[in-house]
Amino acid sequence: MSASAAPKIEVLRVSKQFGDAAAAPVLRDVDLACAENEFVCLLGRSGCGKTTLLNIIAGLVPPTAGEVRVDGEVVTGPGRGKGMVFQQNALFPWLSARGNVEFGARRSGLDKAGAGRVADELLDLVGLRDYGARYPGELSGGMQQRVAIARALALDPQILLMDEPFGALDEITRLDMQAELLRVWSSRRKTVVFVTHSIMEALALGDRIVVMGGGSIAAIHDVGLERPRSRSDPALLRLHDTIWQGLH
Amino acid sequence: MGAAATRHAAVLQGAGFIVSLLLLWELASALGWLRPHSFPPPSRIAQGAWELAVRGFPEGVRVWTHTLVTLRRIFSGFALAMLAAIPLGLLIGRSPTLDALTNPVITFARSVATLSLLPLVIVWFGTGELSKTLLIAYGCFWVMLSNVIAGVKYVDPVLVRAARTMDTPGREIFTHIVLPAALPRIFAGARTALGVGFMVIVGAEMIGTIEGLGALIMEARTFYRTDVTIVGMMLLGVMGVLFALGMEALERRLLPWHRGLSEVRR
Amino acid sequence: MNPRAANALLGAAGILLTLGAWELVARSGIVSQSVFPAPFHALATGLAKVPLADLGGHVWISLQRIALGFAAGALLGVGLAVAGGWYRTFGNLVRPVVELLRPIPPLAWIPMAIVWFGLGEPSKVFVIFLGAFFPVLTNTWKGMANIDPTLLRAGQTMGLSGPELLLKVAIPATLPDIATGLRIGWGLAFGVLVAAELIAAESGLGYLIMNARQLGEVEVIILGILVIGAANLVTDNLLARVLARWLNRSSEGSLP
Repeated sequence: MSASAAPKIEVLRVSKQFGDAAAAPVLRDVDLACAENEFVCLLGRSGCGKTTLLNIIAGLVPPTAGEVRVDGEVVTGPGRGKGMVFQQNALFPWLSARGNVEFGARRSGLDKAGAGRVADELLDLVGLRDYGARYPGELSGGMQQRVAIARALALDPQILLMDEPFGALDEITRLDMQAELLRVWSSRRKTVVFVTHSIMEALALGDRIVVMGGGSIAAIHDVGLERPRSRSDPALLRLHDTIWQGLH
Repeated sequence: MGAAATRHAAVLQGAGFIVSLLLLWELASALGWLRPHSFPPPSRIAQGAWELAVRGFPEGVRVWTHTLVTLRRIFSGFALAMLAAIPLGLLIGRSPTLDALTNPVITFARSVATLSLLPLVIVWFGTGELSKTLLIAYGCFWVMLSNVIAGVKYVDPVLVRAARTMDTPGREIFTHIVLPAALPRIFAGARTALGVGFMVIVGAEMIGTIEGLGALIMEARTFYRTDVTIVGMMLLGVMGVLFALGMEALERRLLPWHRGLSEVRR
Repeated sequence: MNPRAANALLGAAGILLTLGAWELVARSGIVSQSVFPAPFHALATGLAKVPLADLGGHVWISLQRIALGFAAGALLGVGLAVAGGWYRTFGNLVRPVVELLRPIPPLAWIPMAIVWFGLGEPSKVFVIFLGAFFPVLTNTWKGMANIDPTLLRAGQTMGLSGPELLLKVAIPATLPDIATGLRIGWGLAFGVLVAAELIAAESGLGYLIMNARQLGEVEVIILGILVIGAANLVTDNLLARVLARWLNRSSEGSLP
C-alpha cells in the first residue's frame, strides 16, 4: 500500500439517509481511499453503516450526497468489474454450483465453453471440484460461500466486495474460510473491501482496518503484519486491545 | 426401538384399526343394527363397485365414462385458467402500478365463491360443457393469478442484487432470475388451483347433468343406491390423491433444486 | 403523497375501471341488457326485487349455518389433532382414518348428508362442518408435530409434565398453525355453504341466486353474487384480525 499511487477506490464525502430528512443519517461525510490490491476491512457493530457503505461502493445503493470513484470514474451502478459476495443465500438455488459460477463467467463475456472452463478452474481453486453438480441447497454453509466466492471471481473483477461473507458460519468453518480466502487472494490479487463485525477476523485478513461507528469512520489502523498471521502474535493482540478500546 | 420400527408399529396399529372398523360395520349391518340404505355395508359397496364397472349407472354409463368426463372437465378449465393467469400474473407482478391497480379487484374476485356463479353461467351459456369449463376456469384462474403475482413480487431481493453486481441487464434479470425464483410459488399456485377445480366440479356436476362423478353420486342417491354413491365418493378421493401425487412428482421432476432446499432446511 | 395512499388511490381507480368497462359493454348493446345488465342497473333492479330486509334475512341465515358448521369443525378439528398429536397411540389410530376420508371433497358428502340428516338444516351444517374440519385438523396436527422440542424441554425443566405441559407449552406453541387452519377452514366452509344452499335449501344466499335463475332474474343473481363475495371478504378479514390479535397476545407470534 503506497500513498503515492492513485487510489483504486475513492469514497468522497459520502452521506446516506434513508426515508425522510428527519431520520438520523446512516452515513455522514465518509472519506476513504483504497489502493490497488489492498485488503481493507470495514469493522463495526451492527447498524454502524458499514454494509450501507459497501452497498454504495458496489453501486447497489445511491448515496444521498458525495460520490464513489473507481479508477477515477464515478460509480453509477453495480457491475463493471466489482464482484460481490453476500452474507448468505445469494446463490441462485435453481442453478448447480457449477451453473452459478458459469453464470458469473458468462456475464464477464465468455462463451459457453470458456465459461465452463473458468467454472471448473475456480471450483478447483476453492476446493469444490467434486461438488459442481450439487444444488446450493445440498451444500453446507461453508461450501455455499466458497461457491459464492468462485462466482464473484468468475467475473474476473478488479474489486471484490464482501459483506460479512462468513458471518453465518460456525467459528471453526469461519477460520478455515479465512485461510482459504487469503490463499485465493494471494493467487488472484484483487482490491478487497471486506465488511465484518469480528475484530479477530479483520486482524487476520486486512492490510488496513477501518473502524466505523455512528455513521462515520472512527479510526483507521494499519496492520502491517506478515500473513499468515498468528492469532497469538503480541503485536496483533495489542492492536486488538486498541481497537476494542476505541469502540467504547 | 428405532424410528423405522416405531413407524412400522404405527402403520400396523392404523391398518388394524381400519380393518376392525370395516368388520364391525359389516357385522352391525348383518345384525340389523345399521340400516343398509343409510350405511351400506362394505360388501354391498363392493357389489356396487362391480356393477358400476360392468353394467354402469345409470345403465350403460360405466365408471370409466364418469371418471373421464370429470377429468376432461377439470383439465379443460384448469388449462384455460393457466393459459390466462400465467402471462397476466407475470405482467402484473412486474409492475407495482399494475399490481396496486388490480389488487382490490383480484381480492374481491377471489372472495366470490366460484359455485355462486353457477346460476349466472347457466343463464349465459346453458347447462352444457362450456358452463362447467368456465366455472372451473374461474375458480382456478384467481388462485393461480394471485400466486403468480406473489411469486414474481416476492423474489428474494438479494438474488436480484447478486445478479446486478454481475452486470446482468434488466431483461435477463427477469428471465434468468425472477422467473426461476418465482417457479416454486407458481407451482404451489397450480397445485392449489387444481384442488379448487376439483372441489368446484363436484358441485357443478350435481346440477343438470347425468355424466361425471358428481352427477353419479347425486343420481345414485335419488335412486336409493347409496352403495353406488359411496363408490363415487371413494373414486373422487382416489382421484384427489392421484392429482396430489402427480403434481408432487411433476414438481420433483421440474424443480429438482427446490426439493433439495426443503430437505436441507428441515 | 405516501406510497400507501397512492396504492389505495390506484386500487380505487382499478375498481372504477372494472365497473366502467362492465357498464360500457352492457350499454353497447352487444348482448341484451336483460342477460348482461350494467352494474348499477343490476343492483338497483335487484334491490327492487329483493328488498334489503329480505336480503339481510338470507345473509343472516347463511351466516348462522356457516357459523354453526365452522364452530363444530374447528372445535372437533383442534380437539382431535391435539389429542392425536399428544397421545401417540390415539394418533396412530385416528390419523389413517382421517387420511382416508380427507381426500373426498366436502361437496361429495352432500348426497349422504341428505340420506343421513334429511333436507333440513343439519345436512347443510354437516357439509360445512366437513369443509372446516379437515383444514383445521391437518394444520393443527402439523403444528403439534413440529413443536420445537427445546420448548418442551424448557417446560419440563420448570417442572411441567403431562396435561400441564400440553396446556401451557404445546398448545400455545401450536397456536399459529391453528390460526392458519382456521383461516383456510373458513374459506373452504364458505365455498361449501354456497354449494350446499344451491343444491338443497329454501333460504340463504345460495338459494336466493338459484331461485332467481329459475325466475330468470339476472339482476338478482348478480346482486347475490356480489353480496356473497362481500360477505366472504368481510368475515375473512374480521377473522384474520381477531386471530392476529389473539396470537399477539398469547404468544407474541407473528401472523403472516
